[in-house]
Amino acid sequence: MNPLELTLGIMTAVGGFVDISELVFAAKAGSMFGYALIWAFALGTIGMSVFGEMSGRVAAIAKQPVFNLMRHRLGLKLGLITLIGSLISTLITCAAEVGGMALLLNYLTGLPYLLLAVASVAVLMATMWVLPFEWIERTYGLLGLLMIVFAVAVVAIHPPWAKLAGGFVPQVPAGLSQKQLLNYSYFIVAILSAVLFPYESYFYSSGGIEEGWGAKDLLTNRVTCTVGFGLGSLLAISILASSAQLFGPINVGPEIPGTTALEAAIPFGKTGLLLALLGMLFAVAGAAVETCMSNAYAISQFFGWEWGRHAKPWEAPRFTLAWIAVMLLALLIVLTGVDVMSLVEYAVLFSIIVLPLSYLPLMLLANDKSYMREHANKWLAKSLGWLFFIIVTAAAIAAIPLYLLTSGGGG
Amino acid sequence: MSAFDHIKIVSQLLDLPIVDKDERFCGIVDDIELSGTAGKEARVKALLVGPGAYQGRMLGWMFWIVRKIAGDRMARVPAEQVTEIGSVVKLKSRAETLGLHQVEDKVRAWIPRKGAL
Amino acid sequence: MRWILLLVFLLAACSKGPQADLPYIGQARSLAAEWALVNEQAVEGKLTGSYVQTMRQSAREQLQTCEKALSQPQSDYAQEITAILKQPDDASPAALRAHARKLKRIEDSLESA
Repeated sequence: MNPLELTLGIMTAVGGFVDISELVFAAKAGSMFGYALIWAFALGTIGMSVFGEMSGRVAAIAKQPVFNLMRHRLGLKLGLITLIGSLISTLITCAAEVGGMALLLNYLTGLPYLLLAVASVAVLMATMWVLPFEWIERTYGLLGLLMIVFAVAVVAIHPPWAKLAGGFVPQVPAGLSQKQLLNYSYFIVAILSAVLFPYESYFYSSGGIEEGWGAKDLLTNRVTCTVGFGLGSLLAISILASSAQLFGPINVGPEIPGTTALEAAIPFGKTGLLLALLGMLFAVAGAAVETCMSNAYAISQFFGWEWGRHAKPWEAPRFTLAWIAVMLLALLIVLTGVDVMSLVEYAVLFSIIVLPLSYLPLMLLANDKSYMREHANKWLAKSLGWLFFIIVTAAAIAAIPLYLLTSGGGG
Repeated sequence: MSAFDHIKIVSQLLDLPIVDKDERFCGIVDDIELSGTAGKEARVKALLVGPGAYQGRMLGWMFWIVRKIAGDRMARVPAEQVTEIGSVVKLKSRAETLGLHQVEDKVRAWIPRKGAL
Repeated sequence: MRWILLLVFLLAACSKGPQADLPYIGQARSLAAEWALVNEQAVEGKLTGSYVQTMRQSAREQLQTCEKALSQPQSDYAQEITAILKQPDDASPAALRAHARKLKRIEDSLESA
């Protein structure tokens, strides 16, 4: 294990963990329910670590990315349904990230939102064209580390640490009305969805193959998924905790995505504000790239095209056209004027519905000794994998009724 | 596994990715052509690759949509071209000699060859 | 399938009157509070000019959207939202927070009804 590679991998995972959905739901969850939903982020992160580790291991040993094995395991018809569902949910997520980027640039520069959306997509496409895979991932991941300002900010405002720590224990707060209870349940589902977005494991497993992972990289994979994702989730939890202390008591929801940056401005002034906005910008930009490439991976792998940014764009032409098309479609959605918060709601809703079908073939393949040999799931991965599969299936079933009954968490 | 061992068609062959002798992806095993008749030994005669091969695997209206979007071309890869079946199907020839990669090559002409590191 | 349709119709039937406006009341309450927070931090010199301007603009635009979406335009909460929109961009945080608290009281009483 190369220590430099490992450190870079962890740092990239930390900086790349948070996206616009987690930013939005962490701030709202903290304001509405105090520290009581920290455990949902922690639970989702453990699930992400479990499935991430499995998808990285499958990439390293079976040398198959997720969508190849999905079609092989589910068959053509069910595989097509999963592909279409995942393409739609990831496209909506990509549009939310692009819209989020435009908003953040709007806060930083004051320039018109729609113009900034076009500029954002142009810059993203340029980086995806010019840079090879490793540098695409590293650039946005490392720049996203500016989000650490949120972790420092929560320490600076001296939260009640005992209460904060108590939030890691699964709970239902006492004294909630029926409506609030439904809202609380909706937030659990939304947080799990935002943390466990299917595009993350598609991107991670395809990335493992792009980087030529083999058996020697299994420990790197395991450490990146546990330490990297764990530390990354602390950034989201910091946003929740600051919101609980700063926003909840003064009736702030928040409804405007830019309000979250105030969590760093209140203790640190303009420097904190700028670091927060830039950190959010790069984290969201990284997520825009990941969602876009994830869709291109999915289509290419499902139909057996050449794929990957380890190749030059003209060496994998249909893959290249696919990511260009996804990015332009995402831009088109943003240009219709639909607001970013609505896109986030839809992204989270569609993603949780697709999640069980996305993770089932991964579980089956990671358990299969004919592909994985001595690296097939042992008892811990098997037990945790099936446990989280049951959890995401339950969340998928509950998602639409809860969304309708709570008007998307708004009451 | 060599192409001439016993094989479970659905769980070990159907919908596997195909790579040619240069390790390039060139499609998926979309369907399989078998030789033999009822009561006799069945052998894999050819792999069928392309949207045209979906016709036997989906409902009529679904295939109508597929044909409108992707056409109904189909390449037939004789079983003798298969060297190995594992997590992917490996072929002994280049994709172009087997009628695969045609669309990839057409699309390649649209992509500028500049600017990438 | 029939019971799903019945559930959808029942949910739709519930969305009339003040109860239907609850999500907008909650949004407006939060937007007023966010506007107040931005103004408070701006006075303390903690924010950049472009951030303050764009946040105020976002708050105003979203409040206008809430106002237009209300099913009860003559209600006390509708008048409260109109009053918030009449505030200048650099309105005092205390005034904005007072409006937010009023909307919160209306929100709580509708939720417990």
